[in-house]
Amino acid sequence: MSEMTIENLRQMAEQAGLKLGDDELHSLLQGVNRARRQAAELRCFITASDEPASSFLLSSKRLD
Amino acid sequence: MEANEIGYMTIREAGQALRRKDFSPVELTEALLARISAIDSKLHCFITLSADLALRQARQAENEFLSGEERGPLHGIPVALKDLYATRGIRTTCHSAVLKDWIPDHDATAVTKLQQAGTILLGKLGMHEFAFGGPSVDTPFPAVRNPWNTDYIPGGSSSGSGAALAAGLCYGALGSDTGGSIRTPSSHCGVVGIKPTYGRVSRYGVIPLSWSLDHAGPMARSVEDCAILLQAIAGYDSKDPASANVAVPNFRFEIKNGIKGLRIGVPRAHWFDETRGIDPETEKIFNQAIEVLRELGANVVEIDGKPFSLARKANQTILVCEAYAYHEKTYQETPMRFGRAVRRRMLEGAFLSAADYISAQRARAVLNEQICANFARVDVFAVPGTPRPPEAFAKIDPNEQNLRPNFTNPFNLTGLPTISVPCGFTGGRLPAGLQIVAPAFDEPTCFRVAYAYEQATDWRNQRPSL
Repeated sequence: MSEMTIENLRQMAEQAGLKLGDDELHSLLQGVNRARRQAAELRCFITASDEPASSFLLSSKRLD
Repeated sequence: MEANEIGYMTIREAGQALRRKDFSPVELTEALLARISAIDSKLHCFITLSADLALRQARQAENEFLSGEERGPLHGIPVALKDLYATRGIRTTCHSAVLKDWIPDHDATAVTKLQQAGTILLGKLGMHEFAFGGPSVDTPFPAVRNPWNTDYIPGGSSSGSGAALAAGLCYGALGSDTGGSIRTPSSHCGVVGIKPTYGRVSRYGVIPLSWSLDHAGPMARSVEDCAILLQAIAGYDSKDPASANVAVPNFRFEIKNGIKGLRIGVPRAHWFDETRGIDPETEKIFNQAIEVLRELGANVVEIDGKPFSLARKANQTILVCEAYAYHEKTYQETPMRFGRAVRRRMLEGAFLSAADYISAQRARAVLNEQICANFARVDVFAVPGTPRPPEAFAKIDPNEQNLRPNFTNPFNLTGLPTISVPCGFTGGRLPAGLQIVAPAFDEPTCFRVAYAYEQATDWRNQRPSL
């Protein structure tokens, strides 16, 4: 997984409707790259058959 | 009774004194309001004091006592709320400029339940802004200070709840916990806090940080007080989609049954695998606590720490995605209304993908299974409350927290009930906590272990110099 650059971050911020200055983007870069590395690590951990913890269950409708 | 003694009574002691008519609910409330007025300018625990309401509620409790009406162990007891619990007619700020003038038109369910139990609301407590990011030093309200040393952080995000209890400014408080926000300030301030099982306490009216990880829960100065508070606020609530429709046990029924033969698992191997590991002094304090549990008859075994390490990563991924989703519109329109600390952490969620979030939820399902599988071998887990002692305000490094393991957030990911109980002090006289984790909906075992440890040690009788 490639590391994000300030330019990547700027483009993504614009697409997300965020108006962030250079200082703000610089302060975010390290944390964003760490967060993306963590997410990549989790992908290596799961298998194709693992479903998400969150699920939509109509049968869970409560009885009260 | 002197002001200091009044402030540091337990809920049980205060309740007994009220019924003996040592003092009335009004006198008790006035004593605490005077104490807050004398001390809180150094600590900044309270964002909003509700003195008029408190005195009205105290007069009502007084009349009820006189007419023989009994509402239970919280009747006439002054409490306070983390400022993310919606309170009808009382400002609810989340310690943020974003909500600094917001006055809700409804009460959180837990607030309603505390009112029904006869508590007296002293006010709303400071926190980390929107329960995330770190001490809020650039928001409209000052950051809460640690009563044990005001140069140090009290831990968060329920900072005011922990500090107010440690300073003897209230008898019980509510906090919320998405990655450790009840247990960290409990540990750093030397008080008791429980993150109940996910679904045990309604989140209705608690401003969300991360829907699937948020837990509401109580904090107090003793394990028994925490059980009393949880008893009042637990239970199914149709207003909370995550509320669990399960029976609520008597949390104090087995609290004094001891822990002889109890099997305690310690996931010590690699201590959750982060770069800087656990602080040596914190580990030493934890090891001494484990010895006490052994002396009380528990069997301590090692369990695999690896799933706990990955749990931290899944928790953080889910948290920032859900938190950003909740606040997205405000970030798009007025990002600078958030303080630096919360902006920096929450905006990470804007740069993760839907697949990142879903992968974390998939990992969550697997990790939950792996972590809970340990309950075939042990009855509870024990871990330190935090990986290091409270840090000084002057030395806060926003990146440093990511280099330490996190001993709290695996139990948000899994939703398991976890209590933090004071277990000692550093050489610098800063408190440390011990966490006990039980299977889902087994809060009684958390209370039983924590109570046994609490009663075998003297930490609960230590007080900060204020």
